[in-house]
Amino acid sequence: MGKDNPGRGDPMTSDRRLRLWAVLVDAAQDGAVTVNHVCATTVSVAGVDSAAVAVILDAIPRELMYATDRRASELEDLTLTLGEGPCVDATTGGPVLVADLTAAECRNRWPVFAPAAVLAGVRAVFALPLRVGGIRLGVLDLYRDRVGDLGAEQLTDALVLADTACAVLLDDATRHGVDRDDHWPDRIGLQHPEVHQATGMIMVQLRVPAAVALLRLRAYAYSRDRRLRDVAADVVARRLRLLPTGTVD
Amino acid sequence: MAETQLADVFVEMADTLVDDFDVIEFLHVLTERCVELLGVSAAGLLLTDQRDALQVVAASSERTRLLELFQLQTDQGPCLDCFHTGQPVSVADLTLAAARWPRFTAAAAEVGFAAVHALPMRLRSEVIGALNLFDVRPGPLDEGRLRIGQALADVATIGLLQQRAIHRRDILTEQLQTALNSRVLIEQAKGVLAERLQVDIAQAFALLRDGARSRNRRLSELSQAIVDGSEQLAPAPVADRRG
Repeated sequence: MGKDNPGRGDPMTSDRRLRLWAVLVDAAQDGAVTVNHVCATTVSVAGVDSAAVAVILDAIPRELMYATDRRASELEDLTLTLGEGPCVDATTGGPVLVADLTAAECRNRWPVFAPAAVLAGVRAVFALPLRVGGIRLGVLDLYRDRVGDLGAEQLTDALVLADTACAVLLDDATRHGVDRDDHWPDRIGLQHPEVHQATGMIMVQLRVPAAVALLRLRAYAYSRDRRLRDVAADVVARRLRLLPTGTVD
Repeated sequence: MAETQLADVFVEMADTLVDDFDVIEFLHVLTERCVELLGVSAAGLLLTDQRDALQVVAASSERTRLLELFQLQTDQGPCLDCFHTGQPVSVADLTLAAARWPRFTAAAAEVGFAAVHALPMRLRSEVIGALNLFDVRPGPLDEGRLRIGQALADVATIGLLQQRAIHRRDILTEQLQTALNSRVLIEQAKGVLAERLQVDIAQAFALLRDGARSRNRRLSELSQAIVDGSEQLAPAPVADRRG
């Protein structure tokens, strides 16, 4: 129970939490601390290059909430497209810490994701589950372009920040009243609604359920080596139509 | 000796209070420790539920549980008095209390208890339950044991508060995931409508919103129905396309 949920009662952890909160409040410049600030702070204290938070939902395996930069966003897109990788494993298990993505064991474990991530310039990935009690909320993913482990201090900071990301997401939900979906605050909006819109269109075109439609979209993006959101945008703009036979145009 | 034992019990209880702790198990262990530390025969906990009705939540033995239930059913007994007044109620000899609680004293004698001591579980001004100590021998609970008993009742209260806080977080998480899920469903429904009615995404959303309004349904509910195919929307200007 202790490892991925740093003890709240521990005075050392309390000091750490306090110090990290100070950094966060600083980053927020007197505004409300959001998951964006948590990601940015994690990048600086953990010495990584980019970070992203994704949430697990019934309607989609993972929904990106925020990414610090284009690379993190692309890696998240890749993870959703392929359905494999450290950031997928962390949604069902404990933290997945990968110091060297080029290692043979990584290629064995994630035969498609590992080379693709390396090609995108990433060498190390640290995926930390966001958990609240027994519920799995999502994952905080850290990406770095050089090989090597996180230091013990960096890892502990990152775990505390993952905890904070949960708290911030839930706090946002409380303050803005999540059950009024007609008035959902823009700052917790969806990053790429076109993916879901395209899913809906493909459902009608191919007469398949949503899960299958999304899978077809992912398979198309993968086979053409394109970004999921770009393919989705083409579908929504009716520049692209998937064919029903299982083959694509 | 009791001091070190008490300290050990507190450490044990604090160790149990982590994220995934089982509150019933926690309170059950607490009643067992009461029996060991205070030298009584049995212990039980009554707590208010969400509707402010008392419930038996833990008991160190089956006969204690039955006696606690009996108090609730007959609505009389020292534990209920303790709960209603917020004050400790100590009955050193139950045979002398027959006039006050006739049915309870008879039931207690039936299962072999001679004395009962009830301590309130207090949350600021609110009383949330009672810790009840039963003894087969008549006799008072001395000052020292009363204090330890009250300390244990306070630990039980803390455990309960923490469990409620965790429960609240779990509900929030579920709400957050549900709300985000609705957002995804709304986008999917826009796509379904756009394709079925051959309109663009913005028009599809306008239709969806009007449809929800005219049917007096929530946007997310209607979206879910459209996505799973249980409901359809007609194109805007033409309400009926038959013929």
